[in-house]
Amino acid sequence: MANDIKISIKNLYKIFGPTPDVALEYVKRGMNKADLQDKQNHVLGLRDINVDILDGKITVIMGLSGSGKSTLIRHLNRLIEPTAGEIRLDGKNVLELNEEQLRQLRREQMSMVFQKFALLPHKTVLENAGMALNIRGSDVTDFEQEAVKWLGRVGLEGNEQQYPHQLSGGMQQRVGIARALVSNSPVMLMDEAFSALDPLIRSDMQDLLLELQEELQKTIVFITHDLDEALKLSDHLVILKDGEVVQQGDPQDILLNPNDPYIVAFINDINRARVLRVRSIMKKHVDNDAEYAGDISERDNLETVLSRSGGDTDKVFRVVRKGEMVGSLCMKDLTRALVPTGVSTPNNHKG
Amino acid sequence: MATYDSLFSALGLKEWCAEGKQDGPMSMADLLAKAKGDNAEPESLWDFPFPSMDVLNDSCAAFPQSRELTKGLEQGFLAVKDNLSLVLDPMTQPLSWALDGALYGMLTVPWWIIIPIMLAIVFLVTRSWKLVLFVAVSICLLAFVDYYEYAMQTLAIIFVCAFLCVLLGVPIGIAMSRSDTMQRLTIPILDMLQTLPPFVYLIPLIFLFSVTESKLYGIAIILYAIVPVVRLTNLGIRLVDKDVIEAADAFGMTPRQKLFKVQIPLALPNIMAGVNQTIMMSLAMVVIASLVSAPGLGVLVLRGIRNLELGVGLVSGLGIVILAVILDRVTKASLARINASQNQ
Repeated sequence: MANDIKISIKNLYKIFGPTPDVALEYVKRGMNKADLQDKQNHVLGLRDINVDILDGKITVIMGLSGSGKSTLIRHLNRLIEPTAGEIRLDGKNVLELNEEQLRQLRREQMSMVFQKFALLPHKTVLENAGMALNIRGSDVTDFEQEAVKWLGRVGLEGNEQQYPHQLSGGMQQRVGIARALVSNSPVMLMDEAFSALDPLIRSDMQDLLLELQEELQKTIVFITHDLDEALKLSDHLVILKDGEVVQQGDPQDILLNPNDPYIVAFINDINRARVLRVRSIMKKHVDNDAEYAGDISERDNLETVLSRSGGDTDKVFRVVRKGEMVGSLCMKDLTRALVPTGVSTPNNHKG
Repeated sequence: MATYDSLFSALGLKEWCAEGKQDGPMSMADLLAKAKGDNAEPESLWDFPFPSMDVLNDSCAAFPQSRELTKGLEQGFLAVKDNLSLVLDPMTQPLSWALDGALYGMLTVPWWIIIPIMLAIVFLVTRSWKLVLFVAVSICLLAFVDYYEYAMQTLAIIFVCAFLCVLLGVPIGIAMSRSDTMQRLTIPILDMLQTLPPFVYLIPLIFLFSVTESKLYGIAIILYAIVPVVRLTNLGIRLVDKDVIEAADAFGMTPRQKLFKVQIPLALPNIMAGVNQTIMMSLAMVVIASLVSAPGLGVLVLRGIRNLELGVGLVSGLGIVILAVILDRVTKASLARINASQNQ
């Protein structure tokens, strides 16, 4: 169940301009973004996007501004109509829905969290949180219990009767998340949800999201321009550049095997020791023969292991998952994994 | 022999011109010219006349004079007038009832009920005791100098007209905000209503309705005062935060829900600013409308002008200023209250 495909995006194109169909032909023949803009006066939004979004996982779509990530997420609930391609939710083509069905989908299948919170300024926190249920026709007394429950869950107990402008940015976004949770939809779309928050609060919110996700197992599509955030949250990472997918896959894998100079430039700036986890670089075996300096979890990051080893590169640790040994990690491999990667360097570290 | 004779003969229209020759009524200018006996051609280029309708008529009698134009307009209007009032009369009759009813109500209910009710309304919309006190003092002052009745008439007319302006203007503004075509069509009309001197549309109204009917000045006031509320409703809805609208869409609101739950509440500060302007413009117009029998302080101003009663004119002018300040302060205070509950 866990690895079923929830949303499947196939050959999705988006071109902005007066005659996108004509421009689409040029794009399919291989015209690039700059030429399309100069010669055809159309803006290429997305080109041939193929992404499978897994049920119950966090898929992070990362890219710089202008890479089309916000455009992409708005295609999932058709706030933007694609030029060509298909989007399937549970196997059903979203693009074939009529207005009423689409409204139903937005109400019951997908909820959204916005970068600028987009709360209703004239409604209380409680009414904002219950907005999705209110739209479906219930009034405050009906949704109060549900809304209060989720507001409490995101840490806003006692703020129910305040107005959004009385809250800080972080708290407003908590309302935004509560609003999405109250709608009880299986899919949550988060459009740069934490980008407007300051770093400490952002980190808090990321922890909150992971904590909620542990429990709720929603299908989350998260947009960000911040690689650290992407690596922290993602089960599946999609990197966009100029409207095209440059690389997608397991984030640890992308970190160790970047296939594009663009990604290399990105990952050179991050703290590899904090992001890489033991499971990505350990040797997988169950032979309990050698001398081990100690047990580490496969989910530990390399920074933790480094501090435990005290800088001694001769040590070998035993890697365990739920008490059982799953492999070993040699400190030399760890050091090697910390060397900045070039494009598609052969990877010897993975067991 | 007039200046443009040669032109008509060159065009071969001499015969056509001759057909029009008849001894119609002479214009004043003709009479004067005849009396002076000055029928000569211009002496130099300096006096060369512009080929206006009257000058061309001098050369060619079949050519219409400019007074034919105004006369034609007048006759055209008179011709459609009966049919027009057949449609407009019943449509606007409720306005007469509303105005007469409001005037009757304001004047028959004793002052010791009206004044407290008004103060209660002021408190309800502004929640400010200071303002209530100010309004109480102002109205008592007007009542003390025996202008209570006139002031209440003016207020009654303003309430009815401003209410109708909002009732009609807000939906028009909403329609404009939803369709660019509607906006393109409506803006020239609004521009015209706003720039046309108010006296000008009093004239056709006098022809259409009888001066004894109160809807005559009602319509004049509404036409003049409706513009700001329409404009600001349109603007307010168009200025609603795009992100909030997107959120409303993303959560599956119907267009109707979006309008009533998001757009109108968020546009309310702008709509209220429009209502404030509308009320102030009704007040301006209610004074002018006294020319066409609107009762109230305007009548006294008019008396001041006509009979050169300086004192009456000044005191009633002051009364209008007081009413204006009251209406402005009260609507602005309620606007500020709405703003305070909405700032992000």
